[in-house]
Amino acid sequence: MSKHQQQPATVLERLIFNNRPAVVLLCLLISIFLFYQAAQVRPQTSFEKMIPLGHPYIQKMLEHRNDLSNLGNTVRISVEAVEGDIFSKEYMETLRQINDEVFYIPGVDRSGLKSLWSPSVRWTEVTEEGFAGGEVIPQTYDGSSDSLEDLRSNILKSGQIGRLVANNFKSSIIDVPLLESYPNPEDQSKLIPLDYQQFSHELEEKIREKYQAQNPNVKVHIIGFAKKVGDLIDGLIGVALFFAVAIGITFVLLLWFTHCFKSSLAVVVATLIAVIWQLGLLHTLGFGLDPYSMLVPFLVFAIGISHGVQKINGIAIASSEATDALSAARMAFRQLIIPGLVALLSDAVGFVTLLLIDIGVIRELAIGASMGVAVIILTNLILLPVMISYIGISKKAIKISREEAVKDHPFWRLISNFAHPMVAPISVVVALGALGGGIWYGQNLKIGDLDQGAPELHPDSRYNLDNDFVIRNYSTSSDVLVVMVKTQSEGCSTYQTLSAMDELMWKMENTEGVQSAISMVSVSRQVIKGMNEGNLKWETLSRNQDVLNNSIARADGLYNADCSLAPVLVFLNDHKAETLARAVKVAEGFAKETNKDGLEFILAAGNAGIEAATNEVIAQSETTMLVAVYAAVGIMCLLTFRSIAATLCVMLPLVLTSVLGNALMAYMGIGVKVATLPVIALGVGIGVDYGIYIYSRLETYLRQGLSLQEAYYETLKSTGKAVLFTGVCLAIGVATWIFSAIKFQADMGLMLTFMFLWNMFGAIWLLPALARFLINPEKLRNKA
Amino acid sequence: MSEPVMRRTQSGHVAGLFRAPAFRVYSPLAKALSLCSVLSVLALAAAPLQAQAATDSAPGYAIESPKAQERLLLDVASLGKRLVAVGDRGHILYSDDNAASWTQAKVPTRQMLTALFFVDDQYGWAVGHDAQILASTDGGATWVKQFEDLEREAPLLDVWFKDRNTGYAVGAYGALLETTDGGANWADVSDRLDNQDGYHLNAIVAVKDSGLFIVGELGGMFRSADWGQTWETLQGPYDGSLFGALGTREAGTLLAYGLRGHLFRSADFGDSWQRIELNTPHNGPLEFGLADGNLLADGSVVVVGHGGTVLKSTDNGRNFSLVNRTDRLSLAGVAAMDNGNLILVGQGGAHVASPTGADLGQQQ
Repeated sequence: MSKHQQQPATVLERLIFNNRPAVVLLCLLISIFLFYQAAQVRPQTSFEKMIPLGHPYIQKMLEHRNDLSNLGNTVRISVEAVEGDIFSKEYMETLRQINDEVFYIPGVDRSGLKSLWSPSVRWTEVTEEGFAGGEVIPQTYDGSSDSLEDLRSNILKSGQIGRLVANNFKSSIIDVPLLESYPNPEDQSKLIPLDYQQFSHELEEKIREKYQAQNPNVKVHIIGFAKKVGDLIDGLIGVALFFAVAIGITFVLLLWFTHCFKSSLAVVVATLIAVIWQLGLLHTLGFGLDPYSMLVPFLVFAIGISHGVQKINGIAIASSEATDALSAARMAFRQLIIPGLVALLSDAVGFVTLLLIDIGVIRELAIGASMGVAVIILTNLILLPVMISYIGISKKAIKISREEAVKDHPFWRLISNFAHPMVAPISVVVALGALGGGIWYGQNLKIGDLDQGAPELHPDSRYNLDNDFVIRNYSTSSDVLVVMVKTQSEGCSTYQTLSAMDELMWKMENTEGVQSAISMVSVSRQVIKGMNEGNLKWETLSRNQDVLNNSIARADGLYNADCSLAPVLVFLNDHKAETLARAVKVAEGFAKETNKDGLEFILAAGNAGIEAATNEVIAQSETTMLVAVYAAVGIMCLLTFRSIAATLCVMLPLVLTSVLGNALMAYMGIGVKVATLPVIALGVGIGVDYGIYIYSRLETYLRQGLSLQEAYYETLKSTGKAVLFTGVCLAIGVATWIFSAIKFQADMGLMLTFMFLWNMFGAIWLLPALARFLINPEKLRNKA
Repeated sequence: MSEPVMRRTQSGHVAGLFRAPAFRVYSPLAKALSLCSVLSVLALAAAPLQAQAATDSAPGYAIESPKAQERLLLDVASLGKRLVAVGDRGHILYSDDNAASWTQAKVPTRQMLTALFFVDDQYGWAVGHDAQILASTDGGATWVKQFEDLEREAPLLDVWFKDRNTGYAVGAYGALLETTDGGANWADVSDRLDNQDGYHLNAIVAVKDSGLFIVGELGGMFRSADWGQTWETLQGPYDGSLFGALGTREAGTLLAYGLRGHLFRSADFGDSWQRIELNTPHNGPLEFGLADGNLLADGSVVVVGHGGTVLKSTDNGRNFSLVNRTDRLSLAGVAAMDNGNLILVGQGGAHVASPTGADLGQQQ
């Protein structure tokens, strides 16, 4: 058998196996402590962690955050009349009740609440005496057809069509501004931070369910950041269920693989201990579980199981020679500690390269996953063999393993033909073709989110359907780029500033993909027109400073308290990368020629501004990260095998997988984004395991003097099943994610499943073919 | 992301503050100007103001944009085959195919242009904010700036020319400018009007066989039987602002119109007025302000205004048909095309409409 087994016991091995009770006890104590910690981990979605904080746009946005607060956190409830329009007594009554109910939900900024029933929603018209106006729903409203007719004409005069009232009069909106924290009703001096999940649930129960049941003719649509985050957290909790499913499926597969209940259980237990340790460490270090780092427990579980399987496989093979469970475990430990360590370290190194990306969630994912892998070294490479040394492997399993070792395997015999001198060139040609095709098709790969609406959720999720409803029926867009205009204090209302803003707005509106732009200039123009009896010939900026000052008095929220910062809101058609890049480029060009004498145009805020910054960071990081992850994995392989040829054999199949992965993303319409960027690093980092396990065995057999194909057959016979099993295990762990309610988790699940399966296939199919060209068995034999 | 609130100033205390006469509060300048004009009578007797050439106006030419035709346009003129329209941001557009396509002219300003007058199919003038006057001698394709006065902080609102040499422009705070050399020199002759408070002059029109007529803020009316040299102040029939006036085919007959659906007709050059009742099909009297009108080649009269209002009369203004266009966009100008359809301009740019003002294919 292999040379490794004749090696003398290392210090490490003696240390562990001579102190087995201490090892077990220590692990138990650590587990108790970390389980306690893990139990306190809570789902969280922190907005700041999902954005590239180092990007100048984001830094500028955060710098001016307080001045932009009025643009912030609003939920909009659109109440639709299914039959007929909003001018019915029943509809208006339901709307009133919803309005009142929303008023009392904790976290609502009651002073800013706005619907047709708000006294602040008024109509105006110009008369000989000046302006006339009143509440849209007057005190005299009684639901009669006359008062409904008045309501109709008031709405026409109020200018709310497209804002509070749908363009087709079939729905109207309740605008609900939120407070990030609100006074505790019991103790007014204390502030309670707004719990998005609870708020979202209250909207569902108290508004949507209640009033749709009460009045079957209304349908409630709710959008806004708070609702989206609420839905995200709900989706996050749903994912926890997938974990149970993954454990179940994996356990069944383990039983089938090992034919031994107790060792299967030992693998699952050791791996779950790894997961608990990882979660516990996460909490100890002050992190929470966000929708991205949610992936880590799945990865840790899958990686743990696959290494556990290698271990069980090794112990079972060793058991056929060893006399007892302990010596079998020691033999397997000795034999697998090096390839296991190398594989796990290259996983960790792959994850660590993710730290290069300046986005909080990705960095936490990197830290969490690296930690998880470190934990697996302890649990599955050390604790698991110790556990097995106590409980042993069932007689039946050992017997089957012994039979397998001597019996001929037609399947592996067939597969070993991949190393055949005739087949290998064909494989290489096919792989080159696939590589070329992948690169060609992968050029269609886009940066950024490609779907309409909230990209975090599925296009057909309730939130996105609601969002679509609002966009279709109101004059609004959910993609907003904000350019901040900075002046000296009290400088925002000068003619110079306003006319520059006006020009920027016109430049933006003339940019492809821009729907419209709004700023205090839009308000100023309207008010100046209003001050001149509604005469359209005055709907422009005045050079008279007094007129300008008066005209912006009502533009609240469109400039800050000391009139030194004003946002220009640019509404975009969508948030595709080209649209964002184009809009940002025009705005930057304008800023470059205009910024002087204390007047500054600064990019960028708004969801589109953030996405533009994120896209830039991702586009820059993508190449850096690929180079880094391949370099890291390559160095690991070089250190292990001390051979460039061997490194190439292991790495080239991974390159093919990465390229095909890009092509698949282009085909599926998945963009390179925060969620999919880590997939490449994870895929390469974990995918290299297969190559390392296969090549280290192959090399052993080649040193023993077998021909390449024969050595490959022996490799497959001993480790092929474990490799197959590992691939399937990893794939199952992440494949459950495809069903996640959160779109980007589904995308990650899909891509990781592909990467894991295809990396396995690549290792089995392409590695021997490459070895045929790159490895000289003679030389290896001589070295041995 | 919340949508910022955008609507006209609301009533209540604000209304009191912004009432038209009270608006003077913001404009000590208007007083200064009217004082100046009194003085100028004594001293300089309307010495020609030197046209301040385009050199000291900051931004250059109007940005050429395919979206210009959807932006606010404020006046339109028909030159036989060609239509020319002016509007926001120095946009001047012309069309030689009945508004199927528009070409944006090269215009040396980015300020809003408010009115347009062509004396024939070659010579025309446009006026606007910053008291600008632009002229074209090639049917609206190219424009030069003849006059501009930033110090006024006020727009010119209408322009009329008798021939290629003599013309008048009127504007905010009682501005009346005169040229006798095709616009090479413009003189401020505001003092020819008895308008002490400097109320806005909104429109200047010719009345057949009678003379010139100016209407303005707070029902102001002025007429000149000698085509501009001397002016007489009339006591009008209405205290609300009048935004436009229009002579008909009949001698001495004109219409004046303004706020809240008010339209008056005079058959004696303004001596006596009769209010023309305008009723909507369902909602009682018309309440929308009327902005501008035009006497079409076939002798009919069209007046447009807020809320997509289009009025048409074929009996020299005695009776009107009324259409409120479905989009309710406010209109600021109208002209007829050679196929009989109307071209309407205002919010949302240029709109082609049937001869009554209805959407094409939806005759009313």
